[in-house]
Amino acid sequence: MIEIKNVSKWYGSFQVLTDCTTQVSKSEVVVVCGPSGSGKSTLIKCVNALEPFQQGSIVVDGIAVENPKTDLPKLRARVGMVFQNFELFPHMTITDNLAIAQIKVLGRGREEAVDKGLKLLDRVGLKNQAAKFPGQLSGGQQQRVAIARALAMDPICMLFDEPTSALDPEMINEVLDVMVQLAHEGMTMMCVTHEMGFARKVANRVIFMDRGAIVEDAAKEDFFGQPRSERAQTFLAKILNH
Amino acid sequence: MSDFDFSVITQNWAFLAEGLRYTLQVTVTAMLGGILIGTLLALMRLSSIVPLQWFAAGYVNIFRSVPLVQVILAFYLIIPLVLQMITGKQIPIGAANSAYFTFTIFEAAYYSEIMRSGIQSIPKGQIAAGYALGFTYGQTMRFVVLPQAFRNMLPVLLTQTIILFQDVSLVYAIGATDFFGAADKITQRDLRPVEMYTTVAVVYFIICFTLSRLVKRLQSRIAIIR
Repeated sequence: MIEIKNVSKWYGSFQVLTDCTTQVSKSEVVVVCGPSGSGKSTLIKCVNALEPFQQGSIVVDGIAVENPKTDLPKLRARVGMVFQNFELFPHMTITDNLAIAQIKVLGRGREEAVDKGLKLLDRVGLKNQAAKFPGQLSGGQQQRVAIARALAMDPICMLFDEPTSALDPEMINEVLDVMVQLAHEGMTMMCVTHEMGFARKVANRVIFMDRGAIVEDAAKEDFFGQPRSERAQTFLAKILNH
Repeated sequence: MSDFDFSVITQNWAFLAEGLRYTLQVTVTAMLGGILIGTLLALMRLSSIVPLQWFAAGYVNIFRSVPLVQVILAFYLIIPLVLQMITGKQIPIGAANSAYFTFTIFEAAYYSEIMRSGIQSIPKGQIAAGYALGFTYGQTMRFVVLPQAFRNMLPVLLTQTIILFQDVSLVYAIGATDFFGAADKITQRDLRPVEMYTTVAVVYFIICFTLSRLVKRLQSRIAIIR
């Protein structure tokens, strides 16, 4: 589904990604972790071309992202993305947030789009918030709406960029619950997150990044059992020990 | 001149009203046109295409560096020449009509700076979210960035529009008759400056004050809830 091959990226002379290679198969859940500044967010943003890269190739569902002829809006419409800061559109109601891209990008009728949006809103447990504005919702609620908004586009896969990092601790679980449910339903997911509980529960593979490179790319059991790299071991020891 | 005689107002009301209508028409035209062109200029200025950046920057810098009254005069003289060059015919457009064009073009420079800071005030994440949903650049601007920029900048856009409304009086330079010009002409003839200018000031005040109240209400209605 997502094939990342030898991707390198520079900001000027500073290399942020070094020869990253991995893939996410259909219905697979891959968790990307690593210390801050290790390039995990940059890598995931390369997948739907929100960040350009200078070398290598990323193929999503058979379409090369770096090809200048690729219709990026069309490709992005099929790849759901959830951001650290939710990024709901603050000037629109929740209903409009859910419906607008369906209407303007997929060409659905307003009624159909609203209907679909509200169904998904119900699925993330926020049916009665439809008429509110994002600013009237808690962070956890906003993030759940953001997930529903991405799902409304019927994505072939979902990218999560630290979806719980901006949340108060008591709100993290409500978002993770939605993500776990999605994973169980067979959604293809690539998640940048530090939530190792989530990784243990649903991930098929865990990728560990450090200084722009993929240091470890292993099945979940292997990663939590015996990480091969020393860097991954110390990282795990730090975040799991308390 | 010991007594005030406000009959000078009532007697000339039709002439004054005609001037006021012209002032309001120029204001509304230049506001709508100026915001539209200004927004396009702001998008050019912020685009990654260098010639567009230069064009927008040049436009803004030129019009901000020249006094409005001089631009009014220059356009009044130049537009007929340009039109004649294009069409080969003499098209008399007149002072009153040339002002619509001049103010729109001139105000666009100021509105563009307002819209530019409005656009820049929108977090990058909002743009990324628009793209991630499959919006094109144009759709991201139309549905995500500009509506928020416009709401954020509403008070400043209003201030600029009030300045514009008052600046229309500068059309005296080309002999067009706006509200202030009408009052001025009557004063020259009837020699009742105190009554006339007081009335004019009060009317300007009422209109500007009402406008700012209306915008305040509009603002609270469309404000982004945070």
